[in-house]
Amino acid sequence: MGVSTSILRVEKLCVAYDHPLGAVRAVDDVSFALRPRERFGLAGESGSGKSTMALAILRMIKPPGRIEGGEVWLEDTALSGLADDVIRRLRLAGIAMVPQGSMNSLNPVVRIRDQIADALADHGSRLSRREVAERVHSLLVQVGLPPEAADRYPHELSGGMKQRACIAIAICLRPKVIIADEPTSALDVVVQRQVMETLGRVQQRLDAAVILVGHDMGLMAQFVDRLGIMYAGRLVEVAPIRDIITAPRHPYTRLLIDSLPSLDHKGQFVGIPGLAPLLRELPPGCAFHPRCPMAEARCRSEKPAVRAFGADATAACHLA
Amino acid sequence: MLGYLRRNISLGVGIGLLGILVIFMVVGAFTVDTSAAQPLSVPALQPPSWDYPFGTDRQGRDLLAVMVAGTPLTLWIGFIAGFIGVGVAAVLAFTAAYYGGVVDTVIRSIADIGLTIPGLLVLIIIAVSLKGSLTVNQMAIIIALLAWLSPTRTIRSQVLTLRQRGYVEIARLNGMSGPEIIFRELVPNLLPYLAATLVSSVSAAILASVGLEVLGLGPVEAPDLGMTLYWVQFNAAIINGWWWWWTAPLGVIIIVFLGLFFLTAGLDEIANPRLRRTV
Amino acid sequence: MSALVELREATKSFAGGVLGRERLMALERFSFAIDPARPGITAVVGESGSGKTTLARLLLGLIEPTEGAVLYKGNDLRQLSAAGRREFRHDVQAIFQDPYEVYNPFYRVDHVLTTPVRKFRLASSRAEGRRLIEEALRAVGLRPEEILGRYPHQLSGGQRQRIMVARALLLRPRVIVADEPVSMVDASLRATILGSLRKLHEELGISILYITHDLATAYQVADTILVMYRASVVEAGDVELVVKAPQHPYTQLLIGSIPRVSTVRNWAIEERQGRVAAVSGCKFADRCPAAMPRCVAAPPPLYRTALRRAAACFLLDDSPVLPPGDTGSVLVREERPARASVVA
Repeated sequence: MGVSTSILRVEKLCVAYDHPLGAVRAVDDVSFALRPRERFGLAGESGSGKSTMALAILRMIKPPGRIEGGEVWLEDTALSGLADDVIRRLRLAGIAMVPQGSMNSLNPVVRIRDQIADALADHGSRLSRREVAERVHSLLVQVGLPPEAADRYPHELSGGMKQRACIAIAICLRPKVIIADEPTSALDVVVQRQVMETLGRVQQRLDAAVILVGHDMGLMAQFVDRLGIMYAGRLVEVAPIRDIITAPRHPYTRLLIDSLPSLDHKGQFVGIPGLAPLLRELPPGCAFHPRCPMAEARCRSEKPAVRAFGADATAACHLA
Repeated sequence: MLGYLRRNISLGVGIGLLGILVIFMVVGAFTVDTSAAQPLSVPALQPPSWDYPFGTDRQGRDLLAVMVAGTPLTLWIGFIAGFIGVGVAAVLAFTAAYYGGVVDTVIRSIADIGLTIPGLLVLIIIAVSLKGSLTVNQMAIIIALLAWLSPTRTIRSQVLTLRQRGYVEIARLNGMSGPEIIFRELVPNLLPYLAATLVSSVSAAILASVGLEVLGLGPVEAPDLGMTLYWVQFNAAIINGWWWWWTAPLGVIIIVFLGLFFLTAGLDEIANPRLRRTV
Repeated sequence: MSALVELREATKSFAGGVLGRERLMALERFSFAIDPARPGITAVVGESGSGKTTLARLLLGLIEPTEGAVLYKGNDLRQLSAAGRREFRHDVQAIFQDPYEVYNPFYRVDHVLTTPVRKFRLASSRAEGRRLIEEALRAVGLRPEEILGRYPHQLSGGQRQRIMVARALLLRPRVIVADEPVSMVDASLRATILGSLRKLHEELGISILYITHDLATAYQVADTILVMYRASVVEAGDVELVVKAPQHPYTQLLIGSIPRVSTVRNWAIEERQGRVAAVSGCKFADRCPAAMPRCVAAPPPLYRTALRRAAACFLLDDSPVLPPGDTGSVLVREERPARASVVA
């Protein structure tokens, strides 16, 4: 995971939220590296910190949240030192985001073509009207929308088409990294597959890397190359997706995979006992130990450090 | 509680102002001779002095006594009219919103038609057609006749937002009847909103009563604030330079309205979580 | 055999369009019966707009059918007496999707448990009521001391949903309609809640109608399945058969689109655009890769392709049409528009 081989590098990132009862760490000391053209998944349940991570990478954390420490590198540029207007231009041009529920955030009174054109103009592109029209056309074709969609208003498109329009906006400046936060959560299964196929196709064409944030492990299994699992703000495991499924190192990952319902055979209902801890009241030592079937004395007192397993994997567990 | 008042400034100011009034009325009731609020009690047209801190009016009323006796009367009219108005409105609104259909259409239409008729005009016509002089209670009832119109609409809207909530459906699955659901599930959630509506309704009722009284259509014998202002303009007190006659009632009225206004704002903040600036 | 709750040719439509002339079909001529002598878990699977939520609300008596009837013990719901209505409410209960909305924020969570105890007179004293509540909470894996006395916002979504299962347990209904009970709950907790539901069925003989868009959980929980598409049933039967070897093109598309947690990447199924534009006839014709001209002319009936399954597709027309009579094994009673209703 050297500097030159990663397109995005997150190092010891910490994000805290100020609460009257004390500051809360939503993202705790997270590090990972994204390779060019890689599909990286960031999975976790509610409260795990994954969406906060995505916002933090783009420097979009607003008070009462703040980035407490760590660094994000886009190729060789450290993002923390950049001025506000430089970061603004980097968003969409360098790192693009398809936020959660974005299909519902499209401006309802602006046609799709103009929404894309606005994004281009906002980032200082000086294309002529004809060039913009050509660009819009090409983008819509890339995401599998009919060219007529350019003239439509968002409410005239279906959910899947709106989401694809959002992807078109996200890629219009050819970013190197695309972050998609739960892009298909409101869509039905058939449309979801179409949208994910679109995202994959688009990513390959642009030679871009993708970070897919979500909680649907099936989606991760079918789409990503490597997967990171977040729990209580920490990145507890990172590994190639094959290994996550067949040989997970962290007990939480293992229990999570075991609890997923399969379509192959009926089985017992195995959940993870207990509850995810409140970030305000994290247990001492390893945050997962109260629910871990393999917890030892050490786990109750000592927070496990993140250890590397080869070039592709990490795990934060004393017993891994 | 005091901590909350410090954060919800409006509520604090509102309670403070109204508190001052209450203290004034209570202390006054014990220390001031309210019979002096009747005409021909004291020498007329005295400017404020140690004997008569608020001065006296042309008919020989001690204005301090008038304020002490009259403020509660004005507030009384407002409260009665406000309570009756919001009470009726709440019943109609919950019924219309929960049951929907024809019931809703009928209630809504009556309220809408009522709202288009100029209220003051109606009140004037009623007041003028009544033979003999009005009592304070009759005044309250007359104003209550119109006070229910607007709250019916606003409370209805609020209930409509709650009607589809999951807990209402669960209540139906529990076998609860309509009125039971209204009282047990819906009303408790609307209590802050109803309180805010009540306070603003009282405020509007006081304004309406003062308006009618200034026009001379109120209870003539009552020494309340509105009637005092009537006598002020009847006797051209402003032109004649008897400034103390109108500053006293005006001052009290301003405190009443400011107090009620801030109270409403404070209650609004409790009722609408989106307005809250603190947790 | 007598059905406890039954939908008979129930249709629900809404007026739509500019002048209210168009009718939006939410559920079309649906017939289904729950037999208390043979309790089972039936999954109703479909996407949004398929009619599954409308089905649930009709069965629960929360909405009324535009045509057809919903019957409880043979009587139309609309004509039940007050006592009959209370009996109905005791026998047919629900678990809803949103664990936030079902709690009245004004009350502590105890309210959702004490209210049914009171309304259905489940206990003769307050102490006994309290005991029943604590027992029910323990049965779903919660600790009463951690739950009672709290306000809804102080508990997690998973805890709140389990309280709802406890509530259903308290009432000992004959039928539970579970409308997406785990879709808003974290993945690690879903198995626990579904396990409780399964236990409710196995230990207490409660029939469960499990409504969801998630085929994987449906497969795990249910014995039989109904697949719905745009207000009608397209396939039904034993859950193993339908999921492993779907016969209706829509079911095939649905199952093929589900991303599996597996090292095998199977997301390769192609959805070919159908060439036939459907205005009448089979509702899936415009998306169906196997559409034929006859598919547009008239909607296909349900063909019984095996003892425990049926599908509504002309591709299967060499099978007998499913007769309007309880086949028992499919746990479903279907009736098609042109056929006369025969009460079994």
